[in-house]
Amino acid sequence: MKTYQRRKLMVVLFGCVIFLIFLLFRLGYLMVLGSGYYEKKAQTLHERERYIKAPRGKIYDRNGILLADNQTVCTVSVIHNQVEQPQRVAKMLAKELQLPFTEVKKRVNKVTAIEKIKANVSKATGDRILAYGLAGVKVDEDRKRFYPHGKLASKVLGFAGGENQGILGLEVQYEKQLKGKDGCILTLTDARGMELENAPKRRIAPIPGKNLYTTLDYTIQYYCQQAAEKICKEKKAKHVSILVMNPQNGEILAMVDVPEYNLNRPFSKHLSMKQLNERWRNGCIHDTYEPGSIFKIITSCAGLEAGVVTVSDRFFCPGFKVVEDRRIHCHKVKGHGALDFTGGLMNSCNPVFIEVGLRLGVEKYFRYFEQFGLYGKTGIDLPGEAKTIMHDKKNVGPVELATISFGQSFQITPIKLATSVSSLLNGGTMVTPHIGRYIVTESGKKIRKNYPAGKRIVSRRTSRIMRKLLRKVVAEGTGNKAEVEGYSVGGKTATSQTLPRSAHKYISSFLGFEPAKHPTVLALITIKEPKGIYYGGTIAAPVIRNIFENILPYLHNR
Amino acid sequence: MDHRTRRLKKKKKRIDRPVVFFDFSLLFIILFLLAFGLIMVYSTSAYMAGIKFGQVDYYFRKQLISTSLGVCGMLIASRIDYHYYWKFSGIMYVMAAMLCIAVAIPGIGKDINGSRRWLQFGPLGFQPSEIAKLVALIVVAGVVCNMPKSINRFSNVIRTMLIVFPLFGMVAYTNLSNAIIIMAITVCIIFVASKKYAQFFVTAGILGGLGIAFIFLESYRATRIDAWLHPETAEKGYQTLQGLYAIGSGGLFGKGLGQSVQKLGYVPEAQNDMIFSIICEELGLFGAICVISLFILMLWRFAVIANNARDLYGSLLVVGAMGHIAVQVVLNIAVVTNSIPNTGISLPFISYGGTSVLFLLAEMGIVLNVSRGIRIEEEYEST
Repeated sequence: MKTYQRRKLMVVLFGCVIFLIFLLFRLGYLMVLGSGYYEKKAQTLHERERYIKAPRGKIYDRNGILLADNQTVCTVSVIHNQVEQPQRVAKMLAKELQLPFTEVKKRVNKVTAIEKIKANVSKATGDRILAYGLAGVKVDEDRKRFYPHGKLASKVLGFAGGENQGILGLEVQYEKQLKGKDGCILTLTDARGMELENAPKRRIAPIPGKNLYTTLDYTIQYYCQQAAEKICKEKKAKHVSILVMNPQNGEILAMVDVPEYNLNRPFSKHLSMKQLNERWRNGCIHDTYEPGSIFKIITSCAGLEAGVVTVSDRFFCPGFKVVEDRRIHCHKVKGHGALDFTGGLMNSCNPVFIEVGLRLGVEKYFRYFEQFGLYGKTGIDLPGEAKTIMHDKKNVGPVELATISFGQSFQITPIKLATSVSSLLNGGTMVTPHIGRYIVTESGKKIRKNYPAGKRIVSRRTSRIMRKLLRKVVAEGTGNKAEVEGYSVGGKTATSQTLPRSAHKYISSFLGFEPAKHPTVLALITIKEPKGIYYGGTIAAPVIRNIFENILPYLHNR
Repeated sequence: MDHRTRRLKKKKKRIDRPVVFFDFSLLFIILFLLAFGLIMVYSTSAYMAGIKFGQVDYYFRKQLISTSLGVCGMLIASRIDYHYYWKFSGIMYVMAAMLCIAVAIPGIGKDINGSRRWLQFGPLGFQPSEIAKLVALIVVAGVVCNMPKSINRFSNVIRTMLIVFPLFGMVAYTNLSNAIIIMAITVCIIFVASKKYAQFFVTAGILGGLGIAFIFLESYRATRIDAWLHPETAEKGYQTLQGLYAIGSGGLFGKGLGQSVQKLGYVPEAQNDMIFSIICEELGLFGAICVISLFILMLWRFAVIANNARDLYGSLLVVGAMGHIAVQVVLNIAVVTNSIPNTGISLPFISYGGTSVLFLLAEMGIVLNVSRGIRIEEEYEST
């Protein structure tokens, strides 16, 4: 080789080495700087996630009785190409799952990757099937929501769906706390998606949901449900709702809306979606109605607070009152004659309250309406609460004002009515009705729920007078059927006609509380469309008496 | 005889006898690469071979047989005087050309993975383009060496190119990548033999420009460009992207031999062209540096042999082989690291491929034979 050829050989060698060194830098860039990025990408490509459902938080009543639990259920399936003895497998499954043998056999012999034989099998059966140890039989465990008391408090609790998601009621309201966080098992797979046998599995443990402790009292709820069902059946009513709450702090002790449904089977093949929604509706918070005479409590408070009326003011009831060109009747056609304000409330005399309403005037009346928190929602921790439907202030003339003052021509939910009355009777401070008391995390940490309360809406004096008046209603007036011996029950009856008036359908209701001096329990019953006698004082008050007779000793002993 | 006289005698003997040299360093590098290649072929192919053929060692066994044959061939070739080949270069050229034509005829050539590159003789299949590379090396080195007038004249460069061109064209018809390598071998030999620089750089510039224009004009290649620039989104970027995933997840020291996940079907045919990406995944940057260093060492041995060969023909043969290995290694790693668009070039000695390793080893045999007769100047100077 000549010298210049040697030099050129060195040029070639040098050139090649330069290229290779460049490639080394490129590799260094990819493998050091790009490593994290590509490794992550590759990992997500290789890993297959299998979810582990997080157990949903439990729901308890105020005494620690379980209202919503989780149950382990199994799904039984066969993996076709792993089955070694199809005959035996089919026989065993048919026996354990109580399915016809021919059908199981058909399924076992079906050429598919995996064939589901039966879902929602109890854990005991699943364990028994596994104990046979037959190849190709797979039992997958899953957790399902279980409501140990069936239909108890169904409208309040709501239910959770197949993916453990809350669908109604508290299950939706506290979804975030109850849900927990699903975990997963990450396994490596090859490009075809087959899991690698010896590859390490990464397990991310599920975080269980937090437990919810409610203000509901299982015993009271249960008793109220029975009472509601009884009256519903007796009077062939459409719906019966009963609300029991503590007027001092807004805690709901019971919320019943009969007919209730079985929470473990909330769906039904025979019902359309519309019918299902009807079935799941909670009349206490989703439906508004004309409150009727119970609303006279509000009118009384407004009148007393404004000073337009005193308990001894004299009135005269001829059986009707003429407002502008209208003649508005009292329920007692003959009229109550001469009576004072106390008598007006005790006899639930409409002309007396029309007079009070007219004395207040639209401006003042609506100011109290607002002050007592009758507009809007109560803020109860349940989804779908309905708003009060009230006249627009500028459209209210004397006739409308007259009808409003005894609780007609506008609509309100039972929960709103009970809450407003609670606030007026507890000494005059606002409460927020609620069911969630506190949440307990897995580590045992208690997180107390706080609700707005304490805002003064009426003076102590008015509140005290009101309690006395309502005590009299039960002791001597229309509410006498709610009297419980040995206790000082106060209350107010109501009978309202539903729309259209021509249908002659009624809602009878009664609101009672105890003790009259310092009420710690308040109950409101509404009976929708009862057959036969429909007077609140006659059919609703005795139910409350019955409930009070049973729960008052229980509450006072606690 | 005392110690001193014995040493003298020994020295004298050495000067008297013809120098017998054999480049054991190169042999060692070759054998090391082959062994490493076999291990990697087994590692990369075992899982998928088990699924496809039910034999985890399916590819490994085939590669082991061709490698063994190749090593025998190499040892035999290292004992055949390289001047001998020149005498048969004409026949070899014609035969290689005929095989290349045969493979292009439908019905004779066999399609594998969508390319008709194989000739089948009973159970044996081989790629004529691999033979063509070796033949081109022998022919070009001989032609340049035997130019009546110096290769320094540009007309002679053209003449040499014209001789290679028919073979180049025939190979290019079925296997463009190997055609490019033939061209690289040719240019490399002429470049080293010639005194000139300018004409090469000018030609390289023109050819490069034309090549880029050609690539961008043709839509089939344009999709490859798209896959190159945007491997994550392009439809054809799958293989490139999977290769990058493999390289990236290797890190500094890799996942360990046999621990690659990308070889489990993610990188298609991982034992072939993309084997380097799996080496990176399993052995990391450290392993990649080792492999590249071995190739640099090999190129350096080639340079040493070419420098000291007995005559120009021997030198140019080694230069051609050097160009061959260098171009293949650079292009393969560049493709795997997505530095250039995808071409189908295998990594010499390591990638799976019977014909390739067989003829590569034959070529190494020739290089070793050239090394056999070299004059080690340093030794002469010291004595």
